[in-house]
Amino acid sequence: MQELDEVRFLVGGAQGTGLETAAQVLTTAYAVQGYRVCSFREYYSNIKGRHSYIGVRVNSEAQPAAPRASYHIIAAIDAESVFMHLDDAGKDTLFLYNADLESRRLGELPAIEEETKKYVGETLAGTGYGESLGEAICYIKEVKGARLVPLSFNKVLSEFAESRGIKVFAARRYANTILIAAIALMTGLGLDKLQRGFERRFANRPRVLEDNMALAAIVAKELEQYKNMVPIRRPKRKPRRLIVLSGNDAVAMGKVVAGMRFQSYYPITPAQDESFMLESIENLETSQGQLGGVVVLQTEDEIAAITAAIGAALAGARAATATSGPGFDLMVEALGWAGINEVPVVITLYQRGGPSTGLPTRGQQADLLDALFASHGEFPRIVIASGDHEEAFRDAVLAFNLAERYQTPVIHVLDKFIANSIVTMEPPTPESFEIDRGALVENPDKDYKRFSLEHPISPRVFLGTPGTIVWYTGDEHNEIGHISEDKVNRRLMYEKRMKKLEIAAREIPEEERAILYGDGGDFLLIGWGSVKGAAIEALKVLRDQQGLNGAYLHIRMMEPFPARYVSKVIEEYGVNRVIDVENNYTGQLARVVAMNTGHIVWKRVLKWTGRPIYVDELVHAVPRVLGGEKEVEVLEYGI
Amino acid sequence: MASRPEVFDSGEWIDWCPGCGNFGIVTALRKALAELGLEPHQVVIVSGIGCSGKTPHFIDAYGVHTLHGRAIPFATGIKLANPDLTVIVSGGDGDLLGIGAGHFVALGRRNLDITVMIHDNQVYGLTKGQASPTLPYGVKTKALPKPNLQDPVNPLMLALASGYTFVARAFSMDVEHLKKIIMEAVKHPGAAVIDILQPCVTYNDVYTTQWYREHIYYLDKEPGWDPVVRKDDERAEKLSKAMIKAMEWGERVPVGILYKDETKTTLEERIEKRIPSYRKAPPARQRIEVQGRPIINKRYFEEIFKRYLVEVED
Repeated sequence: MQELDEVRFLVGGAQGTGLETAAQVLTTAYAVQGYRVCSFREYYSNIKGRHSYIGVRVNSEAQPAAPRASYHIIAAIDAESVFMHLDDAGKDTLFLYNADLESRRLGELPAIEEETKKYVGETLAGTGYGESLGEAICYIKEVKGARLVPLSFNKVLSEFAESRGIKVFAARRYANTILIAAIALMTGLGLDKLQRGFERRFANRPRVLEDNMALAAIVAKELEQYKNMVPIRRPKRKPRRLIVLSGNDAVAMGKVVAGMRFQSYYPITPAQDESFMLESIENLETSQGQLGGVVVLQTEDEIAAITAAIGAALAGARAATATSGPGFDLMVEALGWAGINEVPVVITLYQRGGPSTGLPTRGQQADLLDALFASHGEFPRIVIASGDHEEAFRDAVLAFNLAERYQTPVIHVLDKFIANSIVTMEPPTPESFEIDRGALVENPDKDYKRFSLEHPISPRVFLGTPGTIVWYTGDEHNEIGHISEDKVNRRLMYEKRMKKLEIAAREIPEEERAILYGDGGDFLLIGWGSVKGAAIEALKVLRDQQGLNGAYLHIRMMEPFPARYVSKVIEEYGVNRVIDVENNYTGQLARVVAMNTGHIVWKRVLKWTGRPIYVDELVHAVPRVLGGEKEVEVLEYGI
Repeated sequence: MASRPEVFDSGEWIDWCPGCGNFGIVTALRKALAELGLEPHQVVIVSGIGCSGKTPHFIDAYGVHTLHGRAIPFATGIKLANPDLTVIVSGGDGDLLGIGAGHFVALGRRNLDITVMIHDNQVYGLTKGQASPTLPYGVKTKALPKPNLQDPVNPLMLALASGYTFVARAFSMDVEHLKKIIMEAVKHPGAAVIDILQPCVTYNDVYTTQWYREHIYYLDKEPGWDPVVRKDDERAEKLSKAMIKAMEWGERVPVGILYKDETKTTLEERIEKRIPSYRKAPPARQRIEVQGRPIINKRYFEEIFKRYLVEVED
């Protein structure tokens, strides 16, 4: 078989049956070999029983950053996963399924929603297939051209149970290991190398490790004929170390490097893992002893989460909270309080599908306008949006520097697609980052005024500093912080606050706030957040496959907005060759661009199914929109 | 007007109605802070909204006048970031028991060393006299168009149920007694609450200074009254006794310390158990940089996050 630069696989099964473990074990095992991996996870708002799946890309050259629609392997742990992923199979796919389930029927699977059953059933019926799993398998083979890998899970698990002296029902808990072992075998990852992945996952449980390896060996024997069928090339360049991390982890790591030592939060998907991670390393334990401590407080609601973070920031800590849309909505009044009181608080906002509870475990980019405009009145704020894990880490540090430099709340916007994706990254060099605590006064004299009107950025003192006293209030205040309704004070104090944003706009280079990728003159994509990965890869595919040369303008800072630079780039292309790509309905970035530059980008590629934008569907959409076939192309790939 | 730090007077003109119960509270608070020997910069007064919300501006100490209902979580962040500060919450009954009731419960559960003063006048004064969560059912104060439809919440019962380890009631017009209670509350390590009965001279014509003077009695003058829990096995009994006192209202209204639990650990102590450096280097006083660079260098980073790190094999 010809070696591949990249292998892509999908594992599917019910929530709670170990799919995450499967992705984790395999990701680690490939990372140990020096491969760059990324995995995207789709799951229901459910603890156990509903269908979830993880798409994984393993690359021998570069870090993949967006999902692709074609898989070399699809491994289905249950019947649901076969029906749900019929159309993810293609002619290059090896489709592993449990042959014991061939008589299962679509209609009798309660975990598949009625709406889904309807179109899956129609797909099968439309091509002359019935609704049994056996028929679905024929569809996958005959219509989609995939190669089937039937395996009796019962047979494998019985043999495993017998060899390990455990009951068969206990052995069933290891069904996910069948997928892990099969994928490792097909991609040419030997059992010894696979073991590295299990070792990490079950570090302190040697018995479980042995069980898993025993089962993997049985699977390898059973599926011997598929060994090395999708072999992946050896990595060209091997870093010494890699970090395997989620987007939540990346932000948490950035916060620790930035010196954040207080985080308050209320549990919400998909933000909560970040706070758990911080709590797990709260002691900052190193070989030189404890380097301080991160206080992580689970509060009674999101209002308490942000107000506690503001309180901690007033006292002098670098403080933050992390949330998602519904929680952010509750924080909005306090956001204004931080604005008028010039408090450097950081809010990490992981977008999910809205409005209301919406799609709690799915992704969307529909809170951009919310982040920019939430809260009544006018006050400066800085809004940063990260496009991948690397940016998420860097921006987490940047957020605190900007918050303290300009004494204003910073909203760091991410989304579920970044938060829940697990990728490999080379360990960062924290020494290359700056810590800018802004203007501070440690020994204030008797004339010190917290909100001195001498300069828009007036030096801060922390609560408890001897030598002065400061008041803070949600009312309009005078220079020492007392309530003042005087009209002249109002005008000047208002201006003082707002001018900070003008200073930030002058000081932060526009080229860092929007980044241009590629230099093809045929078209320009604009986007933000997790669109970055799909857009950059789509440029390459369009160039290689269709000879279309484009560029991607990635907008990273929404406030202060890089208006001059974005205008310049759009004007170079002409607005008719610019396509806005977003995971929302209304084209929120296009609106922000219009508001700031006067250029209305009408050509759009949008998606609001709650699923990420796949490279392949973007590649398909761009020429259609560019050629004028459609002004707005709506995407919906991915179940 | 000039400030007088020695008596915790900020010098700001107090714009409450003449005769307002809040005057007694500010006076008692200033005296308590001075007698406790605190310096103005060591103290943070955190308030919510409304008449009582203005309290910090009149005290010569760090003041944080926050949002309606949110004084407690602001104070929580301040105290956890710098536990050396003396943090006092001053809020109205609507603030702490209505819009902010969830936070009131949460502070009790945490037993963080914060003192909460409830300005309990049974009305929303600054919005012209609506019923607050402590106004009894059927009472019609003068601004209300109709008698109150809702039952009151009992602040003391709520505090006891929530886990506050110091629960007291005082009367704002008995400044000396209130001052002593505030001093006890501040000295108490843990979450302390004082329900301060306070007349609203403008909007509450039912529960007036006169009414309180006729109905309150002092627990410390009751023979044998001992509200202190000194051992774990005394808690149930002392709580029950405190609850019986907390439910007295009408003919006789008790003021004084209802409950004081000296056995329960504070949140600061619990954090210190997990993060040994916490008291020495709390979040607000940690060194986070060395010459403008993160204190977490590459080596430390890889040690702290070692479980995320993969050594690549050759």
